[in-house]
Amino acid sequence: MSHASISMRQDKAAKQSLGRDPRMMVLRLRTLIALFILVVIFAFTAPAFLTTGNIIILVKQVALNAILGIGMTFVILTGGIDLSVGSIVGLAGMIAGGLITEGLILPMFGVSIFFNIPLVIAFTLIVGMVVGLLNGLIITKLNVTPFIATLGMLYMARSAALLRSNGATFPNLVGSDLLGNTGFPAIGAGTLMGLPWAIWIMVVFIFIASFVAARTPFGRQVYAVGGNERAAELSGVRVNRVKILAYMISGFCAAVVGLIITSQLVAAHPATGNSYELNAIAVVVLGGASLSGGRGSILGTIIGAFVIGVLNNGMVLIGLSEFVQTGITGFVIVAAVVLDQSQQRLQRQLALQQATAQVLDTQQGKEVA
Amino acid sequence: MSAQAPISPDEILLQAKQVTKVYPGTVALKNVDFNIYRGKVNVLIGENGAGKTTLMKILAGVEQASSGQLLMDGKEIHVSSPRDANRHGIGIIYQELNLYPNLSVSENIFMSHELTRFGTIREKDQYAIARDLMRRLEQDIDPNTIVGDLRIGQQQIIEIAKALAQNVRILIMDEPTSALSNIEVEVLFRIIRELKTQDVAIVYISHKLDELLQIGDYFTVLRDGALVAETHAGAINLNWIVEKMVGRRADSLFKHSEHKIEQEILQVNDLTLPRVGGGYVVDHVSFSLRAGEVVGIYGLMGAGRTELLESLMGLNSEARGAIILNGRNIAGLDIKSRIALGLSLVPEDRQLRGLIQKLSVSHNITLASLSRYLRMLALSSRLERASVRYEIDELRIKVANPDDLISSLSGGNQQKVVVGKSLLTNPKVLMLDEPTRGIDVAAKGEIFEIINQLALNGLGVLFVSSELKEVMAMADRVLVMWKGCITAELQKHEISQEAIAAASVGTQTSPETNTTQEAIR
Amino acid sequence: MSKLKHLFIPILLLVALTVAAFPMAAQSSDVPEGNGELIVIITPSHDNPFFKSEADAAQARAEELGYETLVLIHDDDAALQDQHFDTAIARGAAAIILDNAGADASIAAVQKAKDAGIPTFLIDREINSTGDAMAQIVSDNYQGATLGAEEFVRLMGEEGQYVELLGRETDTNAHIRSQGYNDIIGQYPDMELVATQSANWSQTEAFDVMQTIIQANPDIKGVISGNDTMALGAAAALQAAGMTDVFVVGFDGSPDVMEAIRQGTIQATVLQPAAYIAELAVEQASVYIQTGEAPAEEKQSVPCELIVPENVDEYGIFARLDE
Repeated sequence: MSHASISMRQDKAAKQSLGRDPRMMVLRLRTLIALFILVVIFAFTAPAFLTTGNIIILVKQVALNAILGIGMTFVILTGGIDLSVGSIVGLAGMIAGGLITEGLILPMFGVSIFFNIPLVIAFTLIVGMVVGLLNGLIITKLNVTPFIATLGMLYMARSAALLRSNGATFPNLVGSDLLGNTGFPAIGAGTLMGLPWAIWIMVVFIFIASFVAARTPFGRQVYAVGGNERAAELSGVRVNRVKILAYMISGFCAAVVGLIITSQLVAAHPATGNSYELNAIAVVVLGGASLSGGRGSILGTIIGAFVIGVLNNGMVLIGLSEFVQTGITGFVIVAAVVLDQSQQRLQRQLALQQATAQVLDTQQGKEVA
Repeated sequence: MSAQAPISPDEILLQAKQVTKVYPGTVALKNVDFNIYRGKVNVLIGENGAGKTTLMKILAGVEQASSGQLLMDGKEIHVSSPRDANRHGIGIIYQELNLYPNLSVSENIFMSHELTRFGTIREKDQYAIARDLMRRLEQDIDPNTIVGDLRIGQQQIIEIAKALAQNVRILIMDEPTSALSNIEVEVLFRIIRELKTQDVAIVYISHKLDELLQIGDYFTVLRDGALVAETHAGAINLNWIVEKMVGRRADSLFKHSEHKIEQEILQVNDLTLPRVGGGYVVDHVSFSLRAGEVVGIYGLMGAGRTELLESLMGLNSEARGAIILNGRNIAGLDIKSRIALGLSLVPEDRQLRGLIQKLSVSHNITLASLSRYLRMLALSSRLERASVRYEIDELRIKVANPDDLISSLSGGNQQKVVVGKSLLTNPKVLMLDEPTRGIDVAAKGEIFEIINQLALNGLGVLFVSSELKEVMAMADRVLVMWKGCITAELQKHEISQEAIAAASVGTQTSPETNTTQEAIR
Repeated sequence: MSKLKHLFIPILLLVALTVAAFPMAAQSSDVPEGNGELIVIITPSHDNPFFKSEADAAQARAEELGYETLVLIHDDDAALQDQHFDTAIARGAAAIILDNAGADASIAAVQKAKDAGIPTFLIDREINSTGDAMAQIVSDNYQGATLGAEEFVRLMGEEGQYVELLGRETDTNAHIRSQGYNDIIGQYPDMELVATQSANWSQTEAFDVMQTIIQANPDIKGVISGNDTMALGAAAALQAAGMTDVFVVGFDGSPDVMEAIRQGTIQATVLQPAAYIAELAVEQASVYIQTGEAPAEEKQSVPCELIVPENVDEYGIFARLDE
């Protein structure tokens, strides 16, 4: 009798999904919990923190990291890394700024063509994707590890940005009625229903990216490639194509961020976006993605971006020294990964317990019989 | 539970009691008892995946048991690291060599047990001891020789010398003779007998059954992680070992049905895969497969079986030759296109090629057939769930929740997931590479039942196996490979253990076999 | 004025004129006090003592006058600076004191603040627009460069080979200083410029560049540098090569270089009164906040001072020590 009752209990335990263990719940939601705690702390220590104005600013700041992070998430899910996004941000700004200020110069005809703003934006986004395409081709066709390939691209894209104007800034990007290219500053300064465009762009990106990652064959294949490239290949996944697309998405997102920043500043500076790649990687990692690929989510990345954003905003408001701020940010990133490790460990442990329970279960079942 | 041999307790040096070892997804050992007798050769027998290696690793401190205990001289000991094992006098010689090829013989022998004086190594003393060991092992090797310059057989001797230098009480030998010449085996056996007189207990693992009968004193048989039998040398013969190892149920596992063999569906002409450094891994192979037919490919390790299947699937871009599937040459197409045309492979290495451990059961099952669930731009979770449910029922996959991680399943169920993934691509030809490796007996039977059923449904099935019994029982036709060539093609009525075994080492016995290639290069 | 005795008359006149050109309200006590309004102070990273002293001086003066302060860092990232402006606007700041992150890239932010009714007082660096900021108070880089160049010519004995290290090419100050150097040195035909290299304001880059230049030009007698950190890098390279008799002149008046002047490895630098400028900006902001009275001139420049071994002890961190 006692055997039977024990086995029934274990049977139930075995059937229970791993995620329902309370410890797992806490660990899985750790970033969200951390975000909540941060918000509470700053709400009490910084009176200005929970004002509507500040929250809008905060979200607008988060949007940049979040959009970069979305692109980076796809790359990291495939098991890669994209160090070139910061430079693409700068390059995109210079491309847009150049097109507005100087137009597209065609030396063989001795003319410059000026585009309207939608075309400028389209052209800039294409440049971002082309840089991503180059990253992908170097990685897949030339077999260069992602770290090295995109590190090289970090320098090359920055160089292209500097060369575009010989290091100068394209100032005052308001365009001219004569050339029909006015309206660029609206991306950065414009609002819809009281919220800046950057926030709306982020929201749209979150929806599209979440859909792509979770509900399309491409998204599924991204996870598969990062989880086990060789198994994915044998399952008919075109591994190279998936990787190249991931880097193109990352380049596209970086170009979008470049456009937003350039529009906000109404000027394009070639050094813009310096070291942004590290922020992007940080928010993805904070969001629970594994740098070895196959694990992570868009929503996690967004939460990660909010953690960094709230942290930076709050620390500024309470007047912490710059040097302390940097240290705290670093601590949070490392702590996130440490927690991630313990989640993995606990998950393995629970899986093992479950498997052991199943074995003992069947054995006891036999003995009882 | 098992036939107990006469045991006098004081002879037992080390006793493993009720040892269980669970890995995520598989149970390697289930409540195993194992006795090691003082001054005897204790033989451990079992098929691949029976749990021998795991038990050995637990004794050597490389792995820790999930439950159970180890008693030495009746007292419980804890062996949580190889260093612990060493302290208790347990030495091990692994099948794979654990030597530093860049260092000398004496440096290897004393690695991490260096003889020191005031922190400096006593080179001369080490040299002298190493030289004595070499003499004792009847080897004419200077201890200053760099290990990398020695033949593999000689390196194996160095491994043995390494263990002997530690004054062990228990010496575990895993396939110690696999790389040794006959003369070297004689020397090894002499050493073993000498060690026995010094009351050293030997744990001996080998696939060479005649060798075991020659040297063994006590025999323990494992099957599928469980203890099957323990007895002493006087009570057994070769047949007993085979019977215990394979299990009586083995024959009944394979219920061979008469397949309705129809038109030719796959034809392979002159397929080659060059080997790095010259020669061929797959050497001008030609054969055909009919719908509803099960063809087994048998061969020893390294015969080119896996490479043949991988080349057919498109994993090896250097492969040349014609592969005609349903009248269309698919050579040169990529894997996705081959899958779309009806070819699918269940790979040999499930973890490396078959599964994506970080994904759930259902996402693994549907990975190869995603386009089937596409509605507009999105995957329809309703269609996906239906397919997952269908395969789980059809293949009887035991899973609590299809959204659980694949790694929470047992080996057999993981294998069924890989098969399910292939079946969802609607293959015309299904290739399975060692489909029963590392899964328990019940699951093996189920896998073969599935294969049978698929053939009855008109699929062409091509499967590779190293187990003669499996091939003989399951196949309508057997192809035997040796060194990249097909050395025999045996129809159902021609299949015999002798014919297959002979062809697998390159000896042609049957004049009817239509092999055209000269096997010897 | 006795300290400036050794200077050339035209320079002295120039300084006198410049000093007289704007109201010396700084130390006077008739600056109206604040009532806890917020002044936001935005500067580049404090890892450079120049910006730290600037921010500290502004903060101290503002708090002394009864204002609340918020000190922010933009790390020379215009996007980050833009976010800080949003923060200042959201918090209803009464004024912004800014050492900006780019002459063009900062315009939009300053305009945004102006539209929100918040005046911006620029310090140290100008922006390429007028009418947006309430004031643009900078040290007179050209005047400072001529001071440094005159001393350099004197040290060299008006002859010999020398090297010029340029700042970051995209930075206007780099060009203005170089212009000042060359306008003076160009008057002496025996001074031979053998190498001009940019070291991007960086000490390590200056060290590397200098080492290379030494290989090609072992006979140089002097190095004139666009700022102090590059001067320190160059001096270190010269010391390492055993060329201890080469004259090095810097620009900024950083504490490290003042120490080097005491040690004798660097011979002169030009002090930018960063702390004074910052205090001046805060005081003008206070006048504007309390009375609505804007500074008379938007563009203001404050003269630099030469620091040499004889007067080095009279200066503190980016400021002349009070008597």
